[in-house]
Amino acid sequence: MHISIKERLDSIISNLDQLPSIPDVVGKVINMVNDPNVDFKSVAQEISRDQAITTNLLKLCNSAYFSKGKEITSLDRAIVTLGIKEVKDAIMVVATKAVLNRAILGYDLAKGMLWEHDLAVAVLAKNIAMMKKDRANADIAFTGGIIHDVGKTVLAIFVQNVFKDILARVESGGVSFQQAEREIMGYDHQEVGERILAKWKFPEVLKYIVRYHHEPEQAPKEARKIVSYVHVANSICLMAGIGIGSDGLYHELSERAITLLGVTDEELNQLYSDVPEVLKHVQGLS
Amino acid sequence: MNTLINVGVARLEVGSNPAVLRTILGSCVGICIYDRIKKIGGLAHILLPNWVKDGVKEKYADTAVPLLIAQLLKMGCTREFMSAKIAGGASMFKFQSNMALGQIGQRNVEMSRQALQEKGIPIVAEDVGGNVGRVIDFFLEDGRMKVKAAGEEKLYYKV
Ligand SMILES: [Fe+2]
Ligand SMILES: [Fe+2]
Repeated sequence: MHISIKERLDSIISNLDQLPSIPDVVGKVINMVNDPNVDFKSVAQEISRDQAITTNLLKLCNSAYFSKGKEITSLDRAIVTLGIKEVKDAIMVVATKAVLNRAILGYDLAKGMLWEHDLAVAVLAKNIAMMKKDRANADIAFTGGIIHDVGKTVLAIFVQNVFKDILARVESGGVSFQQAEREIMGYDHQEVGERILAKWKFPEVLKYIVRYHHEPEQAPKEARKIVSYVHVANSICLMAGIGIGSDGLYHELSERAITLLGVTDEELNQLYSDVPEVLKHVQGLS
Repeated sequence: MNTLINVGVARLEVGSNPAVLRTILGSCVGICIYDRIKKIGGLAHILLPNWVKDGVKEKYADTAVPLLIAQLLKMGCTREFMSAKIAGGASMFKFQSNMALGQIGQRNVEMSRQALQEKGIPIVAEDVGGNVGRVIDFFLEDGRMKVKAAGEEKLYYKV
């Protein structure tokens, strides 16, 4: 363990100013949408306070991925036409891009690679939820997919310094990459990501996705399924090389997650085979 | 300045000196074929070993290899001056051994070898297996392949 790195990370994650920020409106909207008695008008009002977000959101609502054909020119129309959950997903894409669409040095991800990965995992996780007829959770799978690796944006600079130690630990100890991150630096990118989401005041279920996406069986029971959508989607994207970095495939593909979701071997192969189609959707988002 | 051509998942690109073909691989395999006289080459980024009905040929090792060779021949290459290098085919660090998806990397490598052998193209270098992600650059000026994996670079010059 590099104590000096752990101490610096201790101080970073306990000091909210040092963690990445996104516009305030996002946390508010996500929590509003989480409430089953949400009032559409007040959501539209909340969003409209942020002019930049509103402009980009309307643009995205008319993109190939979200559009339902009819042109959308107002927030009210967007919510009526697409549904509030879709609009929330679109806000997530708009609001997190600045944080995620950058080079992630320690993980050897050139600018745009993490962003492409996050969008691909989001689209695929949602597809898996839909395939398993879990429509109610599909939007959360999408949101979780976008932000699951957000911890990498903070941890990367430290990984760069101790990459050789992490890799040596992986190879000698037979532990997966994020566990070696924990052992060498005191934190892994899942834990750091969870802290970032706490700063953003995101709901618990999203924190669970970020915190357990590499070890879904550790997630609290009520969230295990939704974490597993992102886990499986993430594994498939990495295998297809989408956003694969210096941590490579040094991660576990959890059999228990696959069993829990009831995904068959054949379905798993099909999901992997369909990655190029997922990437076409991603192009309409980025 | 070299012209960099990015080769996407399940795509195939060809080019000539001084182009550089780049692709990023997990369990997929990058199949590089080079004509050392013409200094023309191509790269197929295959996702799966065997073609299935209605699939695009570029996506599968057994159909991408003949397609790539045919394109190179059309560009004036000669089969006897061609050689191949392959990279990729990694697998997840831990998975249940009965899971078919876990074996994809290995099967991609095996089918790539077989398809090349059937067409009589010798494989002069391989950088395959393990658990690493790979970024490969295939330089058409001399056919060398650069593999960046787990923070380190390796070069394969043989053609
Ligand atoms: Fe991750
Ligand atoms: Fe990921």
